[in-house]
Amino acid sequence: MFQSLPHHFREHDLVADVRTLLQLKRAMQKGLVNTLGDIYVVLKGLVTTDPADFGPFTAAFYSYFLDVDIKRGEKLDNAILRSEAFKNWKEELLKDRDDLEVPDVRELVDRFLDEIHLTTFDIQKIVDGAEILKQDDPDMADTNPQQESDGARTIDRAADYRDVDLEELLERLERVARQQKGMHEGGDHWIGTGGRSPYGHGGAAMGGVRVGGGGGGKMARRVVGDPMYYPVDTKSILRDDNIDAALATLKGIEDETAEVLLDVPKTIKEGLKQGGIFLPYEKEKIDHKVQVILMIDNGGYSMHPYIKSVTKLFSKMKTRFAHDLKTYYFHNTIYGGAYSDVRRRDFVPVDKIIADDKNYSVFVIGDADMAPYELDYSSLGNWQKIKKHFPRIAWMNPLQARYWAGSNTVQTLRQIFPMYPLTPDGIEKAVIRMNRKRKFHKKN
Amino acid sequence: MANTTTWTGSDSYLCDPELAQAFHMSRVLGMPLLIEGEPGTGKTELPIQFAKDLSLDLFVYPVGSKSTVEQFVAKFDHVKYLRDSQIEVLNAQREEKGLDTKLSTGGRHTENLDDYVMLGPGAKAYTNINSVLLIDEIDKAPREFPNDLLYALSHRKFVLPESGREVEVSEDDMPAIVITSNREQELPTAFKGRCIYHYISFPEPELMKEIVGKHFSNIEEELVQRCIQLFYQFRQLGLERAPSTRELLNWLKYLRNFEVDEALAKIESREGLGVLIKTQSDMIRVKRNSY
Repeated sequence: MFQSLPHHFREHDLVADVRTLLQLKRAMQKGLVNTLGDIYVVLKGLVTTDPADFGPFTAAFYSYFLDVDIKRGEKLDNAILRSEAFKNWKEELLKDRDDLEVPDVRELVDRFLDEIHLTTFDIQKIVDGAEILKQDDPDMADTNPQQESDGARTIDRAADYRDVDLEELLERLERVARQQKGMHEGGDHWIGTGGRSPYGHGGAAMGGVRVGGGGGGKMARRVVGDPMYYPVDTKSILRDDNIDAALATLKGIEDETAEVLLDVPKTIKEGLKQGGIFLPYEKEKIDHKVQVILMIDNGGYSMHPYIKSVTKLFSKMKTRFAHDLKTYYFHNTIYGGAYSDVRRRDFVPVDKIIADDKNYSVFVIGDADMAPYELDYSSLGNWQKIKKHFPRIAWMNPLQARYWAGSNTVQTLRQIFPMYPLTPDGIEKAVIRMNRKRKFHKKN
Repeated sequence: MANTTTWTGSDSYLCDPELAQAFHMSRVLGMPLLIEGEPGTGKTELPIQFAKDLSLDLFVYPVGSKSTVEQFVAKFDHVKYLRDSQIEVLNAQREEKGLDTKLSTGGRHTENLDDYVMLGPGAKAYTNINSVLLIDEIDKAPREFPNDLLYALSHRKFVLPESGREVEVSEDDMPAIVITSNREQELPTAFKGRCIYHYISFPEPELMKEIVGKHFSNIEEELVQRCIQLFYQFRQLGLERAPSTRELLNWLKYLRNFEVDEALAKIESREGLGVLIKTQSDMIRVKRNSY
């Protein structure tokens, strides 16, 4: 069941795989899924891992289960109005009540959303609400109040909901609602799934209990089309608006360990005092450092647009969690050294650069695109020296990856350095690689 | 059998339906519930109130920058172990010298390694059926911590150090595990995949009124109205550090000590806002925007 679901959700940049399906199946077996709204809730818990996922998730859900295709940035209402599912639903709804005047379109959408997002939880609430109302209204016919419930409904039919039309699905919802209630004879009188009962959803309070539409529809509506809920484009070149995403990944380079070590000198000293009975003493060893060297190509026009966002990113990093940040500047490539100031006046020879602790993480930021003669033998030798000293090094290139093949110098430098595009995504990859290096390094 | 009925909050805790559903689902599936959201939205309160309401055992593991899975599961007390073994030597020497008094090891035996294993909250929760386990602020942990937790969470099994004893729990007996995070650090994707994810969105003014009602039973309607109105106004200023639910409650707690008129006057003159606004630049902005 739902075999194509992971694939479909992956197309919306969500993480879904076989495990998601298995967990969904388990949730069904445990009786968590009785309505479409339940599927929404369960899948949301399983699939999303970040508030930014909610938008894509809602879009994926609507297109998979209801064939409602939401265009990027479009409001949910509009997408629903366009959809086949809504048209069918509306037709069916109005067929039953042609004596009444046609409600407002917005109201219809509200009702539609409420029905989609009706969960077992809401039904439970309606039942509770009905209980309260029952006490309020003793004249109500209630001939067989203690009638046994049919038990929780389990989904036994292996059906892909996409093949079931919405009408049928909603009918099922209603059936479920009736069963869940189970206690009242005049079941449909109470639950307004089809909008036919006087106690429908839409915020009406019943004896202090809010009925139905537990906000699921509202949430979905708010989420879709809200730029806040769309993920930051982690594949676009670093800009001011995705700096924070990059910053989050950069935090990964923080080196932080906490161990409790045996304090050998103290143990021996105290042990001798005790006449040879060695009672161990411990001390805490805390390592907490982020050491970063930044080498920025700030010469030439090609790099100009990126310098601001790069320096902003790393200065933010410095104020947030790094304590040790060194920045060097160069133009195109290095000859014997780099400069410690933006205007490239204070020269720092390579030997001095590599005199630093080899645990520094080094980010070289440049387009690596230059005239082939500029990248001569000595310059390459210097790069290699730096690479050799700092195992955790990465070249971040603002040039789009598809242009890399077109430049000889990029190709050459790529053979020395692991090169990543200067995007939040690329930074994350670089950081992951650096961390791997560190572990390897520690073992030695 | 763990408790898997829906829980929708208690007299002193208002659990919004979305959170209640996610929490219910996590308990039914035996998966941990990962709650993220702004500070002060009641993330930590959920398991505490749940345990209190149903009188279940609650085990809390507050995560810090020095947290290790060892502390969470169980730790072997090498110091005690060495001490006791030394005491055995000492006692033998004393006996040789004909001394009667023996030094005590507090009932522990060095042959029995289990005596030196100190169970952490994780192992305790696993051995207590139908308990609640709170792993608070996991984003403060060192990077390796969530990954190390993965094994225990997906296999429902801990192996105790040195003694090698296994603590295992069946799917049905899984404690209700709630993990909270303030998103100061991204958690590994694999870790999030093992959890039911829920993001607590900031409560709407209406819900906020109900929350206030849960905390203060007899408080002037007028005062609450005005405070909430200002509170949301402040939040919209785009402050460096927007005030949270917790701060609103503290503010009300403070204002409750005065007569209504006096409290309202204090609000209008922006007195005692330090409880709500936490940085100097924010305070300047609030005062500037107030008149």
